[in-house]
Amino acid sequence: MRNISSVLGRLAKSISISLVLLFAVTMTSNAQDAKEGAALFKANCSSCHKIDKKFTGPALAGMSERHDEEWLVKWIKNSGAMIAAGDPMAKQIFEEYNKVAMPAFTQFSDDQIKGIIAFVKEEEARLAAGPADGGATGGAAATNDANNFMIIGMAAIFLLAIGVIVILSRVTKTLEKVIANNQAAVEAARVRNESVEETGKVKFAQKFLKNKKLVGFAALMVVGLLAVLGWQTMWNVGVHQGYKPVQPIKFSHQIHAGVNQIECQYCHGGAYKSKNASIPSANVCMNCHNTITASDHYNGETSPEILKLYRAVDWDPDTRTYGDNPRPIEWVRIHNLPDFAYFNHSQHVSVAGIECQTCHGPIETMEEVYQYSPLTMKWCVDCHKTTEVNADNKYYDQLIEAHEKLKKGEKMTAAMIGGLECGKCHY
Amino acid sequence: MDSNKKYWKGLEELNQTPAFVENNKGEFAEPIPVEDVLNEAGLSTRTPRRDFLKALGFGLGAVTLAACNRTPVHKAVPYVIKPEEITPGIPNYYASSFNGQSILVRTREGRPISVEANPNGVGLNQGTDANTVASVLDLYDMSKLQNPQIGGKDVEWSKLDATVIAALTKAAAAGKQITIVSNTVNSPSTLASIAKLSAKYPTANHIQVDAISYSGIVEANKNNFGKAVIPSYNFGNAQIVVSVAADFLGSWLAGEEHTQDYIKNRDYKSLKNGKMSRHIQFESGLSMTGSNADVRIAIKPSEEGAVLISLYNEITGQSVAGGTTNAKAQTAIKLAAKELVAAKGKSIVVAGANDVNVQSLVNAINTQLGAYGIIIDLDNYSKQHQGSDAAFQQFLTAAKAGQVGVAFFLNSNPVYDYFKAEDVKAAIAKIDFTLSFADRAEETASTLNAIAPVPTYLESWGDASSKEGLYTVVQPTINPVFNTRQAEQSLLVWAGETTNIYDFVKQTWDTTILAGTGKSWKDVLQVGYIYKGTNQGSSYSANVDVNAVSSAIVADAKKVAGEVELKLYESTVMRDGRYANNAYLQELPDPVSKVTWDNYAALNPKFAEQLGLGENGKVKVEANGYSLELPVVLQPGQAMGTVSVALGYGRTHVGKAGNNVGHNAYPFAALVNGTVQLAAKATVTKASGTYELAQTQTHHTIEGRNIIRETTFAKYLKDPNSESGRFSDTHKTYDLWNKFEQPGHKWVMAIDLNACTGCGSCIVACNVENNIPVVGRDEVRRRREMHWLRIDRYYTIEDNGTKYTKEKEIAHIDDFENVTVVHQPMLCQHCEHAPCETVCPVLATVHSSEGLNHMAYNRCFGTRYCANNCPYKVRRFNWFNYWNDSRFDNYLNNEFTQLVLNPDVTTRSRGVMEKCSMCIQRIQAGKLQAKMENRKLKDGDVKMACQAACSANAIIFGDANDPESEVSKALRNERVYYVLEEINVQPNIGYMTKVRNTFEA
Repeated sequence: MRNISSVLGRLAKSISISLVLLFAVTMTSNAQDAKEGAALFKANCSSCHKIDKKFTGPALAGMSERHDEEWLVKWIKNSGAMIAAGDPMAKQIFEEYNKVAMPAFTQFSDDQIKGIIAFVKEEEARLAAGPADGGATGGAAATNDANNFMIIGMAAIFLLAIGVIVILSRVTKTLEKVIANNQAAVEAARVRNESVEETGKVKFAQKFLKNKKLVGFAALMVVGLLAVLGWQTMWNVGVHQGYKPVQPIKFSHQIHAGVNQIECQYCHGGAYKSKNASIPSANVCMNCHNTITASDHYNGETSPEILKLYRAVDWDPDTRTYGDNPRPIEWVRIHNLPDFAYFNHSQHVSVAGIECQTCHGPIETMEEVYQYSPLTMKWCVDCHKTTEVNADNKYYDQLIEAHEKLKKGEKMTAAMIGGLECGKCHY
Repeated sequence: MDSNKKYWKGLEELNQTPAFVENNKGEFAEPIPVEDVLNEAGLSTRTPRRDFLKALGFGLGAVTLAACNRTPVHKAVPYVIKPEEITPGIPNYYASSFNGQSILVRTREGRPISVEANPNGVGLNQGTDANTVASVLDLYDMSKLQNPQIGGKDVEWSKLDATVIAALTKAAAAGKQITIVSNTVNSPSTLASIAKLSAKYPTANHIQVDAISYSGIVEANKNNFGKAVIPSYNFGNAQIVVSVAADFLGSWLAGEEHTQDYIKNRDYKSLKNGKMSRHIQFESGLSMTGSNADVRIAIKPSEEGAVLISLYNEITGQSVAGGTTNAKAQTAIKLAAKELVAAKGKSIVVAGANDVNVQSLVNAINTQLGAYGIIIDLDNYSKQHQGSDAAFQQFLTAAKAGQVGVAFFLNSNPVYDYFKAEDVKAAIAKIDFTLSFADRAEETASTLNAIAPVPTYLESWGDASSKEGLYTVVQPTINPVFNTRQAEQSLLVWAGETTNIYDFVKQTWDTTILAGTGKSWKDVLQVGYIYKGTNQGSSYSANVDVNAVSSAIVADAKKVAGEVELKLYESTVMRDGRYANNAYLQELPDPVSKVTWDNYAALNPKFAEQLGLGENGKVKVEANGYSLELPVVLQPGQAMGTVSVALGYGRTHVGKAGNNVGHNAYPFAALVNGTVQLAAKATVTKASGTYELAQTQTHHTIEGRNIIRETTFAKYLKDPNSESGRFSDTHKTYDLWNKFEQPGHKWVMAIDLNACTGCGSCIVACNVENNIPVVGRDEVRRRREMHWLRIDRYYTIEDNGTKYTKEKEIAHIDDFENVTVVHQPMLCQHCEHAPCETVCPVLATVHSSEGLNHMAYNRCFGTRYCANNCPYKVRRFNWFNYWNDSRFDNYLNNEFTQLVLNPDVTTRSRGVMEKCSMCIQRIQAGKLQAKMENRKLKDGDVKMACQAACSANAIIFGDANDPESEVSKALRNERVYYVLEEINVQPNIGYMTKVRNTFEA
């Protein structure tokens, strides 16, 4: 079923692509330039411009209709000069976009700029063709077909199932008849075999029961098994290793910390100076996400997850303004320490120089974050027993001196300087 | 060798009453009936063994089932837009001020959690009084109003404004007075806002009246110097102090600032230099100041004037009539006068009476002593007590005559604290429109037309000027929590101004205070204050007709003199009653009587005996046509034939914690010579019934072991080791255990018994810092108070150089007037060989490599063995979840008030033992700060909460491994001894002997 619909979908797609290609081929005049233009556009323009909608700068669709090419070339090369020179159209655009000047691109040749314009035209046509042309309608038809196919398929399966049931019931009935016919024979056979079989079973049971040692051993095994199971369960009460709750926003550490290599403390700034690493406030997200909308992956639309962020900070991406109705994001806390345990991130991150990953695991590969470490006291203590104190810190001078005297040659672990004492974490 | 002088905490200990002996046997008040249950007869008791086991089994099952819960999902909600200065988990500090003292407010995640003195401030800068530390709780008080009210119903501010403006316009049109009645206002901004209102409504006037009036001093200074002010006192320059009924270390004027200066002449540093001031106190009731005096003479209130006349005669050699006839007083006065004159320029006499004549005589004496300028500063005068009894009288008269159209009450509650509440009520009834700026519907506010509730100082912009030339800023540390508005803002709105309060305060500073100083508003916000005064005042000479004044004193004294005389006093803890809803303060034991949650009639034990009264008795006190039935406290040191009653109790409309605690004693006061005076002729009769006060004096008693060391200054000068009685000096000690290395830090404390006045602000600071619950009166009666730090007050009797060492001798003395007092702060001693540690079956309390006795609450399962084994009795058991139990609904049982809790300290649950942790959260934070800054920990980086609150610098904390730390130096002092050193528990807290600078016989 699924295959059929996907095949149809693919078919529709290829049709639409070929249509577009056909369309494109008809406008080969600038194809070569447009290719270079595409590269230039991506590198220089796309951070502020989109083809089909307003962004930091105006939507570019239809710019060739609005302005002649000469004007556009001039504008792109140095819009500031045009505004300063008092070009009425330039001034109007400047005013309209909050007096944010477009940077000058004097390094471009006229041909390069024309290439960009050509690319924009091409894109514009492609986008226009998308919804209007056969591709889209074809797709829609295909999905409709797919739906029909599904319904028909379901019906077929249903019928098949009924058929199977009918056949099975027939078989059963036949078999019952056969059994009924052979009842007498079976009875006779059972009576014949009974004595032999039953005595076998009973004998085994009796033998087993008579062997007290064996019974005792079996009972012991059962009790032992239960005890081990119970023990393990009890030890894991309150341990939530692997806890991976569904978060209100599908935030991916894999993209942020892994692919984009953003330093952990850019967002979790508390980790190096406070006891709380702290979940970043939404304004930190907005530092990047006021321009990054991940639209490449969502057909030019802003990612729905980023829209959730916009909703939280009450940001209107069209007018690029903040409203006055922010709604905090309620994340689900993954790492929960009990209230009676004091943990300070800065002590571990800044003073001891421990990597985030030591406790939080390969966070840069986590699509969704889960609790990597057990966060039990044993886990803390084990680490304190083996981790060497970062002796570069002048605070430890006195302790290290004393330690050298006490134990020559051995490394000084956190445990040795009181890292296992109750009051270090419980107060 | 240590002294064999007898010290006792209370008469029940002295007399070894059966109840005391019984209570003393166990650490806990109510024994658990373990043996009853387990023996054979136990089966037939009310809870037989089988039932017990059944219940136990059922309980186990039920709890197991109940615990089978899904782990709750915790939400983490970060800021949407994080304020730049806030990092969750790191406190912020803001400079502000409370009652004119420059303070630092610590906030966490935007909520204020504690208050400390601004160490760079002017005046009181090394500690705070109990009220200041406790004030943070008032922010989270649920008894406050959440909206403005008209006629007891919540309204919008716009509606209230319209009503008030209509009333003001009407009064102005009718030419009627518009009066703002306030307590002392020294805030320049408040005064400016009142001026704005006066400018708009010319009939507006402002009068100030204080619950505890100091008009007498103001009037006397006006007459004698032409300056109607209360001077600032610099006790730091006084070597001889004579106080006649002035509790100058406690409630009199600026008690805490006086303490800071006074102790500088008496603490270990001063003694090291061989210097110590002498303090002679004449008074009726044993005040905190009296308990710290070197020589204390009990006199009746009517004798106060006579004592001063005699003193004047002795100093000047004149013979003004009316001197005292009290023989004990006469001897003391002779000696005191000699000393005073010898130390001219370094000696001072103060008197507590709010009487023009008495204060004039004191001015004359101080002029003779040359105290003006050096000790008494009339130039940089105090602005904390400007209330005028006369002005309030005029207001009442005008109001009763219908001349007042509108009255606003600002921080003024005369229905409660004026001695004639009926007069106030009658006056209010005649006023067309009345409004209060109270934060709650208190006694006065609830009888008025409207209430415009104000936020607390922690939510406000403002300022104060407690002393001429000193200006402190009040800046908010949180947005107003409720729908409240500052009084200044309201006045501005009603005066038709549109300025908001922040701009108004800033404008006031920019135009008046900061002009010409070269400082900007931002500098002030950072520093918290600005001082434009001089270091010392100039010399003045009082112009007093001593004969006329003395004859007036004698005449007035006759009115008070009687067989029994009543003395009202302002309690050091509860003050004038303003903070009565603060549970921390209600549970803070009185420094002397150790009574919590009540006021009482203090009587001399012998006098009570004459009246047929004993423990838990009640008396009926009658004076000035008012009578009260009060529980009795048998107070050693109380003058015979006198009864003392504390003011500030008996509030009825203050809130959950403070309503109907004690009785209102204000109506006992009377207007004499135009000032409200607190002494009266009285009758005391035994009343029926009994009443058990929640008195902590004999709780956690130390079995009569010798733990106080006391010497005299003369002996100290001969041998600084005198009476320190160190066990190790004369004994060889043996050790069962191996030495435990403490290579890093070794946290120790030194407590100077000579500096501790017993005020108790350290206790409140400890409560606030460590989330220590308030348990309420009933639980205190059961000896279940949770204070980690207590101040034990010990009495001893010394009569004409005779030391009483045996109970039998003491029983035969005729009065208990001549007691001397030692205050000893007692907290976990963090013993190196801690007896508690060896008996804990689950190792919940263990020693650290830094010399601390750790307590792991989550490990403790409540056997209470440790408490039983602690020789210092400093461990406290949580009998209930005090913060989450409706039976203890004093203050903390709601989510709002719980925001006051220190987030760095766990709240302990029921069934868990707790005790002083040596503010381990502060130690850890200090160490971490040093590590982050890649440096060694410096002395003074870590301060204990109690230490930071102590204005006497009696508590010194630090690292003993640093030989240069203040505490190491202090502990090398010859006076240092360790309490119960002989049992070799090796405590880490050293005490320094009490030194008394008595007259040499």
